[in-house]
Amino acid sequence: MANSSMPIERLQALDNVEKEIASCIQSAGQALTELSKDKASMKQVESHTSQFLKTLNHVEGELSKHINYLTQVSTGQPHEGSAYGSVKMYKTARHRLEHTRSRLQDLENLKNRALASTVRPSSAQNNP
Amino acid sequence: MAQRALPQSKEALLKSYNKRLKDDVKSLLDNFSEIIKLARVEEETQVSRMTQCEEDHFEMLVRASNIVRAGESLMKLVTDLKQYLILNDFPSANEAISQTARSMLAMQQESDRKLMALRDDLAADLYDLEEEYYSSPFK
Repeated sequence: MANSSMPIERLQALDNVEKEIASCIQSAGQALTELSKDKASMKQVESHTSQFLKTLNHVEGELSKHINYLTQVSTGQPHEGSAYGSVKMYKTARHRLEHTRSRLQDLENLKNRALASTVRPSSAQNNP
Repeated sequence: MAQRALPQSKEALLKSYNKRLKDDVKSLLDNFSEIIKLARVEEETQVSRMTQCEEDHFEMLVRASNIVRAGESLMKLVTDLKQYLILNDFPSANEAISQTARSMLAMQQESDRKLMALRDDLAADLYDLEEEYYSSPFK
């Protein structure tokens, strides 16, 4: 069995299997619809039937493969790993960033107040 | 890879998945081939043709429903496999956790690197501001 691929790839493979099951039943329906016609084209019936058989075979092979893989890798124990440590470190880095931003904002407000107070007395002097 | 001894419940569960797969595929194949066989028009025997037609029609309906039921059962099996995979596929779970840890660490290091650069810029500006302030009459 190939090395572990990302979980998303295995789940996507199972999504494709679901679509194949639907198309398999659709082929079966098309084969029977064609057969029910007054002038049935045997070539069409055979092609739909072979499509049905091929898809069903493929679905069975894929699902067997997945079940075999799970038989090999499952241990029966719950998985206890987590990325909590690194997520916490990232969050503390974000807190540092937010704290710095708030202090710089305070500095900005202080500067604006100082500028406003220097502008007001000079405008008061100009307009007695 | 050596086969580890699975707990009985997990082993039984995986065996049941195999059984369900085989049963559903067999049901799909058998019912489909039986419907095709019913398409043959046979000579009138004990029952009249009309009755035979009705019987065949009913049998076809039942077999078609069986095909659909087997298809839906396969879909359910795929859903159960997905759930089992998410919970018990350790190599993939480990890979996902490692990748998350790597990306979180990279973002944290990038954030801290930029913060340090900001600190250095502010320190340089502060030097000039302090000089300006302490040489002014407002101190």
